[in-house]
Amino acid sequence: MSAGAGRATATARTLAVLRKEVVDSLRDRRTLLVSLLTAAAAGPIFLLLIFNLIASQADRARELKLPAVGLEHAPALVAFLERQQVTLSAAPGDYEARLRTGDLDIVLVIDPDFAADVAAGKQATVRLVADHSRDRARSSIRQAETLLHAYNRQWGVQRLLLRGVAPTVGHPLNIEEQNLATAQSSGAIILFLVAFYGLLASVMGGMPVALDTTAGERERASLEPLLMTPARPLELVVGKWLAVAFFNALVVLVTLTGFYLTLTFAPLPAVGTPFLFGLREFARFIAVLVPIVLLMPAVLLYFGCRARTFKEAQANISLLMFVVSMIPAVQLFLQQKEPDWLVLLPISGQYTLLRLALRGEALPLAQLALSYVMPAILIAVALVTVARMLSREAILAGK
Amino acid sequence: MIRVDGLSKSFGRKTRVHAVRDVSFAAPDGQITGLLGPNGAGKTTLLRMLATLVLPDAGTASVADLDVVRDRYAVRERMGVLSDARGLYGRLTARENIRYYGALHGLSGAMLEARIDALVDRLGLAAVADRRTLGFSQGERMKVAIARALVHDPATIMLDEPTNGLDIMSVRALREQLRDLRAAGCCLLFSSHVMQEVAALCDRIVILGAGRVVAQGTAEELIEQSGADTLEDAFVSLLGTGEGLAA
Repeated sequence: MSAGAGRATATARTLAVLRKEVVDSLRDRRTLLVSLLTAAAAGPIFLLLIFNLIASQADRARELKLPAVGLEHAPALVAFLERQQVTLSAAPGDYEARLRTGDLDIVLVIDPDFAADVAAGKQATVRLVADHSRDRARSSIRQAETLLHAYNRQWGVQRLLLRGVAPTVGHPLNIEEQNLATAQSSGAIILFLVAFYGLLASVMGGMPVALDTTAGERERASLEPLLMTPARPLELVVGKWLAVAFFNALVVLVTLTGFYLTLTFAPLPAVGTPFLFGLREFARFIAVLVPIVLLMPAVLLYFGCRARTFKEAQANISLLMFVVSMIPAVQLFLQQKEPDWLVLLPISGQYTLLRLALRGEALPLAQLALSYVMPAILIAVALVTVARMLSREAILAGK
Repeated sequence: MIRVDGLSKSFGRKTRVHAVRDVSFAAPDGQITGLLGPNGAGKTTLLRMLATLVLPDAGTASVADLDVVRDRYAVRERMGVLSDARGLYGRLTARENIRYYGALHGLSGAMLEARIDALVDRLGLAAVADRRTLGFSQGERMKVAIARALVHDPATIMLDEPTNGLDIMSVRALREQLRDLRAAGCCLLFSSHVMQEVAALCDRIVILGAGRVVAQGTAEELIEQSGADTLEDAFVSLLGTGEGLAA
């Protein structure tokens, strides 16, 4: 047999394995349906949640609703607040309890002696009652504080002016705030979630097929007869790897299509999105995720073959999933400027590039190429390792 | 032709289990050779070595004059094995299961389909050939496993306990198949722990006990060797125990 004919047979056998695994997995309708439905539904559900989050934050920022006690004692303050678009209302009697349960974010209490104190030239008192541990209330608290400080300053300035004193005497320091966050870079968390979800699809997508084709093969007692055929271990492994990668790619495509269709056609609340996801970003996501779509099946095959039983394989893979999905979370919470070499690290590199894509930036080609290097090496190592495992007689012992 | 010469294999590090010790025999073409021995006698390990899945510690073995270690892939191309593990793919039909193995043996197209049709016909699988194997009976599964092992028309055939779990009708049908293959000039090696099974089918018998060859020859030779009256008595006296010989 010549080398060329040998290669042709090797390719034919590899393709036979690929074809069989794809047909076999496609026949497993229920598993397939669950994976694909989850992938398809996740995008819309997830985006809806994100949009509600953005919309409710935006609403809160726009108009401050301020329940108050003793409005009648300070008509000038009331007039000032109303000019600032604050909706004032009488607070219910049990407002403290309601603040604790979170029904109310904040309550303004005007001291009953307010008018009398002002008339006597004393400091008048207003109280802002809120639960500072509640994240949701934070923007309301800050807004109310700012408004009350502004009123305080304005009133003081007027008094000084009446006495012929320049306002700068009483306020030597002028504090200006400059917020550098743009609409697109402010939603770090949202960016994280979208990038993370895309990444997760490429990590998880091949799991059921990978398990079935390794640990399942052993559990079914079909591994030993398979190993007695002239198919070389590497041909079996490559065929199985391509089959798992095929299903992994399918899950990723369905997930991203779900994102895209939802963003394009669904009646989402009209709020400024802090990220972009059009066809261009779709393509960039694919370009970034290709190495993971190919790498994870190889890694999953390794774990599937290493385990003696289906259950052991599942336990190992769950641990792998946990570790892999923690990487972007760690990166998010470290909140540091990321070093350049991070792009070399699988998962981490892809996460970094996905966020760039979501910000609407072009992918730096050099970085993209670098992010392919490690996965390519790891794929080769994993496939050769699994092939060696299959050619060892110990693989039969765990039947 | 299978030749086994001084084959040994042991497992385990601390307490070594000598599964096969210095086994030598030959299984000629056109004959059915029976490998008989109680459970744990080393039959499966021996067959796995011949099937090139397990490397011998010592000794040599050849199939059609090809060494099972050096020429392992050439041996696999010429040999059909029904191993102890005979799982099918439940979501594939019988025909697809057989076709997969045909493809792995390098067959394709009309030649492969003709081969599958012939096997389906000969093994009486026609009624279930296009059904998924998940719901198959034990006998139907066994037939598919046999068809799968024979799809490349091998000249050497090894079967590890092929009658396990089969009803009497299936056993008789299987015997017919094996006799046909013998008539076609194949070399058949058949392992079993059931004496009656071996006696009914085999031309030559190799008796394994605790990893060693205890005796070998035709049924008459074995009776003569042991000085017993019947084959059953011959087995018991040769092995020194009746353990594992019952069906």
